[in-house]
Amino acid sequence: MYPLFEIPVVGGPILMATIATFHIIPSHVATGAFWITYFIERKALRENRPELLEFLKKLSLSILIFCFVTGSLTGVGIWFAATVLSPRAISGLIHTYVWGWAAEWVFFVIEIVAIYVYYYTFDKISPKIHLRIGLIYAVAAWFSMVIITGILGFMLTPGRWLETGGFFSGFFNQTYWPQLLFRTAMMFAIAGSYAALVAATLRNGGRDTVRRIAGRWGLSGLLAAGVFATWYYMVLPANALENLATIDYVAIMFKLAIVASILLGGYFLLLASGRGRFVNPWIGTAMMVVLFAGIIGGESVREFIRRPYLIPGYMYSNQIIGHDMAAKGIASEAERFTTDGLLPHYPFVPQQLVTVSEENFLAAGEVLVKVECLACHTLAKGGRNALPDILDGLDAESAYYLLDDLSRSYMPPFVGSAPEQRAAAAYLAKIAGGELPNATWVVEGDE
Amino acid sequence: MDTNLMIQTLQDPLGVPFYPVAFQGLSILTFALHIFFVNLVLGGAIVATWGHFCRDERWKKLSRTLAKATTINISIAIVLGVAPLLFVQVIYDPFWYTSNLLSAWWTIIFLAALIIGALAMYAFYLRRRNQEQRSGVFGLLAVACILFAGVIIHILSMQALLPDQWLGWYVSKLQMNTGGWGLNALKVSRLLHFLVPSILNTGIFLMLYAWFFKPRPGADSAYLAWLAGIGLRMARYAAIATALIGIWWLLELPSQFSFVTDHSLIAGYVLAILLIMVLFKSGETPSPYAPIAGSLSLLTILVMSVSRESLRMSYLKPFGYSIYDYPMTVDWGSTLLFLGTFLLGMIIVAYLLTIAFKAGRGEYMKELKASSES
Repeated sequence: MYPLFEIPVVGGPILMATIATFHIIPSHVATGAFWITYFIERKALRENRPELLEFLKKLSLSILIFCFVTGSLTGVGIWFAATVLSPRAISGLIHTYVWGWAAEWVFFVIEIVAIYVYYYTFDKISPKIHLRIGLIYAVAAWFSMVIITGILGFMLTPGRWLETGGFFSGFFNQTYWPQLLFRTAMMFAIAGSYAALVAATLRNGGRDTVRRIAGRWGLSGLLAAGVFATWYYMVLPANALENLATIDYVAIMFKLAIVASILLGGYFLLLASGRGRFVNPWIGTAMMVVLFAGIIGGESVREFIRRPYLIPGYMYSNQIIGHDMAAKGIASEAERFTTDGLLPHYPFVPQQLVTVSEENFLAAGEVLVKVECLACHTLAKGGRNALPDILDGLDAESAYYLLDDLSRSYMPPFVGSAPEQRAAAAYLAKIAGGELPNATWVVEGDE
Repeated sequence: MDTNLMIQTLQDPLGVPFYPVAFQGLSILTFALHIFFVNLVLGGAIVATWGHFCRDERWKKLSRTLAKATTINISIAIVLGVAPLLFVQVIYDPFWYTSNLLSAWWTIIFLAALIIGALAMYAFYLRRRNQEQRSGVFGLLAVACILFAGVIIHILSMQALLPDQWLGWYVSKLQMNTGGWGLNALKVSRLLHFLVPSILNTGIFLMLYAWFFKPRPGADSAYLAWLAGIGLRMARYAAIATALIGIWWLLELPSQFSFVTDHSLIAGYVLAILLIMVLFKSGETPSPYAPIAGSLSLLTILVMSVSRESLRMSYLKPFGYSIYDYPMTVDWGSTLLFLGTFLLGMIIVAYLLTIAFKAGRGEYMKELKASSES
């Protein structure tokens, strides 16, 4: 386990969510937009409509800046955020899927070379070759989705990986195909939404044509996404469905995704039927925000329904390895720490706190609470998901029994020796403003 | 817990899916390509901004050229940076993650600086293309942000090499420092040895630019000759400065490493001397020496990346850490997936670059003219 990073008041998940939020749209646009670009360019060449090519120049420059600066850097940002918030989880994913990510990186390289060559060779090379470059980009971008979906699906349903430890056993997991088809369909919907926005900034005759195309693509994508989302829902494991039904936040996010989809469906329908003239850049942007909200809803649901795990069946959300994994010869840390204590195994514990004593129990309890709870909670009153507010006035003995029952909820169990559990309870009582225990109870218990 | 045990405890129990040397090799190769483009970005941003404030029209034109090129190079540098970032986490996970955690906020600020820097560079380029006022400030902002990001990533890399100091940085008495604001290790000579070659490589880039566009129909040969001359002078001065800083950096290294005689470093000396010789032999006109200088510089960076890795191994050896001992379960399926993708990818990229090269030289013009006339 690594040094801890504590973000006061808002907590770590908000940092992750903020960066992910800024990554979601550009990354999806980067994947989807070139299919529509390819389609429009073919149409422009077949029907000899240079105004559509002008639109494509504008669209591809906007993709360059939006996706290949903001999008790719926020993508790296998710990696960095995951590193500072859950280093062991990102490490586990990387040590399993490094070749997958490396293959995805090859597609990134193709994408970036293709889009620059595409943008800077308008009118400079034969239209046939130019069209082919657009197609190369679109296919490469989709393949990057084919790969990352395997890893995203693994984080929810690791499948046979838990038994074999093999790359493909986890990659082609039970949610892989519905999720890939869902994301592919959404890719067209997002592309439609983005093309409609860029078209709204045009002044020439290509605008109405592009809007209709964008509407048709968006509507078809959204309807197909609805079908695949239903399939996805049907293959979710029981604990995920339970989380969906019982965690309020997840239910709200789920509803948000549905409402956004309905609004977008109406928007695309108007565009497709040629009644989208009211769409100016502001309305186009507003609909991108709706799309954005919908994606946040959907991705939040995916993130939260895997509780209490980061990698279900292997690693808890506080990064403690919760189960044996025979294929890799890994023993459960939860069991070992419960027997031996967690503190002696935490490399970054202050030396004086390795063993709980009557002098150090509050400081030792603080370390334990931080190691096991910071992933989701903050520690000062008024913060997001703040323990003092949740526990409000709880005494140490009650906190001790509460820690016993954690695993009955969607939280990981408390892991540590009995004195460590009492020290953690004492610290929880301290921050909750509850009654502090006497030091002998912490060290020796009720005996 | 002593440092050796601490590192063992931190190492990922899932092990690696292939021989660690493969990840090491890929890490060296992709880091070299990444840092070459980082050099072009930083040098390009500095020279483009400088040119913007010059009165000479040729400098202004040079500034526009470099601003455009730098926007492209930023995106390439970012994508190329992803690969070494991935591979370092495979074989040096305890070091990289701990260093990031000790400076958690700075890793986030690093990204924010890059985003602002990259967007500022685009703003600088587009505002000048559209002849808008007050574009220089965006150039300055881009340079400041990129430099700042460079300092942060340097510190993160240095912290990762000093595991025996981690606890001292993280713990004080009974408290853990969980704030993520630590910045604990800065080595100016090493940092400058990464930064100053930016001017060297940007100079070579200008020489290559002149060489590349010279045969194009309608090229402004007087401007290209001037450009090549400016590039050559920049490259010469920066090459000498880089060599001197290299000596300073070597003198500061812990003597027990005996790094002066490291094989890769000796190869680096030879290549650097060859590069300097080529630069002084080359005339101040668009010259066939430009591609040779470019290739030599890239090769020197590659060899210096090997040295950087060799130095990292020297730093970590006292703690009993060797990547070659990393627990391994070979996963042939995913390894072949990568190799196949990599080969296919390189073929596609070569095809795309060939088109770009020909288009840049105007080789499709005749074809297009003929088809539009028919």
